[in-house]
Amino acid sequence: MIFSELYSTYYNAVARILTAAVKGHISDSEMRDIVRETAFEESILTICPALKSEHWQLLLPDGTTPLQHEPTMPLTMLEKRWLKAIYLDPRVRLFTDGMPEDLEDADPLFTADDYTVFDKYSDGDDYEDEGYIARFRMILDALKSSSPLCITSVNRHGFDRRTVMIPRTIEYSEKDDKFRVIGDSTTRSSVINISRITECHPYEGDMSDVKEHEPQWETVEFDLYDTRRALERVLMHFAHFEKEVVQQDEKHYHVTLRYEHSDQTEILIRILSFGPMVKVTAPRSFILLIKMRLERQKKYIPQTSTGRGG
Amino acid sequence: MAYTELIKSFARIRRAMQEFYVYGFKSRSGYDELSGRSYDDARRRIESFLSDHIRFRRTADGKTVSISVNSRSKAHDPLFRAWKAKSFTDGDITLHFVLFDILHDTNESFTLGEVSDMIDERLSVFSEPRTFDESTIRKKLREYADAGIVTTEKQGRTVLYRRAPDTALPSAEVLDFFAETAPCGVVGSYLLDKIPQHESLLSFKHHYITATMDSEVICTFLEAIHESRSVIIENENSYGKKTTHGAVPLRLMISVQSGRQYLMVYDADDRRIRAYRTDRVVSISKSDVCEDMQQHREELRGMQEHMWGIGTTGISGDRMEHIDMTICYDDDEQHIPQRLMREKRCGTVEIIDGNTAKFSADVYDVSELIPWVRTFLCRIVDIHISVPALEKRFLDDIQRMYSMYDEA
Repeated sequence: MIFSELYSTYYNAVARILTAAVKGHISDSEMRDIVRETAFEESILTICPALKSEHWQLLLPDGTTPLQHEPTMPLTMLEKRWLKAIYLDPRVRLFTDGMPEDLEDADPLFTADDYTVFDKYSDGDDYEDEGYIARFRMILDALKSSSPLCITSVNRHGFDRRTVMIPRTIEYSEKDDKFRVIGDSTTRSSVINISRITECHPYEGDMSDVKEHEPQWETVEFDLYDTRRALERVLMHFAHFEKEVVQQDEKHYHVTLRYEHSDQTEILIRILSFGPMVKVTAPRSFILLIKMRLERQKKYIPQTSTGRGG
Repeated sequence: MAYTELIKSFARIRRAMQEFYVYGFKSRSGYDELSGRSYDDARRRIESFLSDHIRFRRTADGKTVSISVNSRSKAHDPLFRAWKAKSFTDGDITLHFVLFDILHDTNESFTLGEVSDMIDERLSVFSEPRTFDESTIRKKLREYADAGIVTTEKQGRTVLYRRAPDTALPSAEVLDFFAETAPCGVVGSYLLDKIPQHESLLSFKHHYITATMDSEVICTFLEAIHESRSVIIENENSYGKKTTHGAVPLRLMISVQSGRQYLMVYDADDRRIRAYRTDRVVSISKSDVCEDMQQHREELRGMQEHMWGIGTTGISGDRMEHIDMTICYDDDEQHIPQRLMREKRCGTVEIIDGNTAKFSADVYDVSELIPWVRTFLCRIVDIHISVPALEKRFLDDIQRMYSMYDEA
C-alpha cells in the first residue's frame, strides 16, 4: 500500500516528539515546534491536543513517555522493492558502488524492462563510462564542500575551454538525459554538460572575486484557443513552469509563463509545436522571433490567399 | 462529518490536486464534479499540505486557487506531501509506537500473549489506560507482517513475532535523485523522511511532477507486472464517461516532454494493445494470474519499432502510416541535423547534402508527430503525410499561423 499511515507526516512528527520525550521529557513549546517543522500547516490543531488529551496514549501530561526506546521502524517491503529497483538503474553508479547485501533478495518494484521513456533524446550521457563516473563524483564532492574546481571541457565547436568555478548544483534534464554542473565563477555563471568535461581537478587559486549566479527570468504571454483539446495539452505541457491562466470566454484563455532567458529558443519551438492554437501576445521581442521563423517558412510553403484571415 | 485534515482515500483529493496544479483558473462554481462541500474540504486540505505553493486570484466568477511550482528549483516535489496524509485511528497510532517499542530488537521475538502483556504494562501509567484485545493486536501484527516490517515464525503451534531486519539507506544524493526521476518517486520521499533534513545538491530541468498524483495507479500496475497478474482498470474518458476493462499489464510509458504517463496493456475485450493515460485511470486492481503476459510484452516490444509515442492505431485505419519531411539549414546551423538525429526516435534521417536532410518514419499513428514537425517551422522545405486529411490540416494550420502573425 503506497498510501499508508506508516509513511504519514503525523507518524513522523509523533516519532520526533517521542524521540525527544524518551530522553527525559518534552515541553509543550518543543512539541509545537516539531509539529510546525515536520507536519502540515493545520496539523498543530490535531497532533498536540491528541497527545495531551491521551487520545493517543504515548505521552504523559508531564511530557514523559512510557516508551523505552527511540521510535524506529524497519523499511517496508515496498520501500525495499523501490530501493532494489533504483540500485538496478545504471545512474546509481554516479553516487555509489554496489548494492547493499540486505536488498539482494528483494524483488525490484520495476526494472528497465517495465517502462520506457519514449521521448527522451537519444544522445544522453553514458553512465557506464568510468571516466564520466569519476568526474561526476569529483564534482559532487566539490559541491558538498563548496570547493572550487578547474574544469576543461570541449565546446560544441570542438575547442577546449577552461573554467574555474565553485559548483552550485548538478542539474539533470530528463528530456536531454544529461547532467550539467552549474557554478559560480569569477566572470559569470557557468553551465557545463558533464559529458563534455575532459579534465577536472581541485583549484587552489584565489576565488575571492567569484560572482553568484542569478538566473535571468523572462515572461511570455499567449492566447490559447481551446480546439482539438488544446487547453489540456498546452497546460499539461507547460505544467512545470510557474504560470498564470485566465479564462477569457468559453474557448479562450490567456496564459503568462515565466522561464529562464537561456531557454528562450526552446520555449519558442515548444510554443510553435501547438500551431495556431497558441498565439503569443507579449513581449514584442518574442512575437518578432516567431514572425521571423514564419517569414522564413513562407519561402518553402508560400502564403496563399485562401489562408489569409483563416 | 466534521472536517479533518487527513484522508482515508487519496482519491478524495487527487482530482482537485490535478485541477489546481495543471489548470488553476477555475473558481468554486467551475468544478462540476465536486460538490461545494467537497471542493471546500479538498481546497482546505491542499492549502494545508502545500501552503507555500498555493496562489489565489480574484475573478468575476469568484476566487481561483492554483498550485504553483517552479520544478526547476532544488526543492523536492511538493506534491509528495499529500501522500503523507493518510488517516488512522487513535488506536492505530498508539498501537504502532507501542508495538515497535516492544519489537525494537531484531534478536528478540515474542508470542501474541507476551506482546499483549507488554502493551498493557506500558499503557497502565495513563489515567484511563486503553486496552487492546488479542484479536486487534494479531490483526495489526499481520498487517505489519504483510507490509514487511514484522516477521513471523512458528514454534510448534505458537507464532512468534519479531521486528524485521533493518536495511541500510543509501546516501541522501541517491534518494534526492531517484525520488524525482524514478517511477513511484514518492517512495523515495518516504525514505528521505528517515534521514536528517538537508538541502539537495541536485536540481532538475524539464521536470514534470504531474504523475506524482498517479503514484498509486502506477505502483499497482508495476506490482501486477511482477506478479504476472491481469488488472481491472476503471477509466474515465475526456467526456467524463467511466468504463471498466480487464487487461494484461505490459509496460509503463513515460513522456518527459508532455508530462503524461500511460499504461500499455493488452485489452482482452478488444484483443489489441492499447494505452490508458494514468491521470484518467480512476482505479486499478490486481486480478487473476495471466499466462500470456510475456507473449504480449514481446508483441509490444516489436510494435515499439513503429510507435512514435503510445499510438497503436491512426485515424486512417491503415496498418501503417508514413511521413517524410525535408528540412534545410545554413552552413552555420549544423546543430539542426544533430537535433534531427537525437530526436528522430523510430524514424530515419538521410543527410542529402551539407544543407539538407530528410526525415522519414513509418508509424501506427502519424498524427503523434505533428507537434514535433511544427518545431522545425522556418526550415520545412517539403512534407508528405500518407493520410491526406492530416497533411491538409497541417498545411492549413501553417496558413492560419501566417495570418495570425501578419496582424501581430
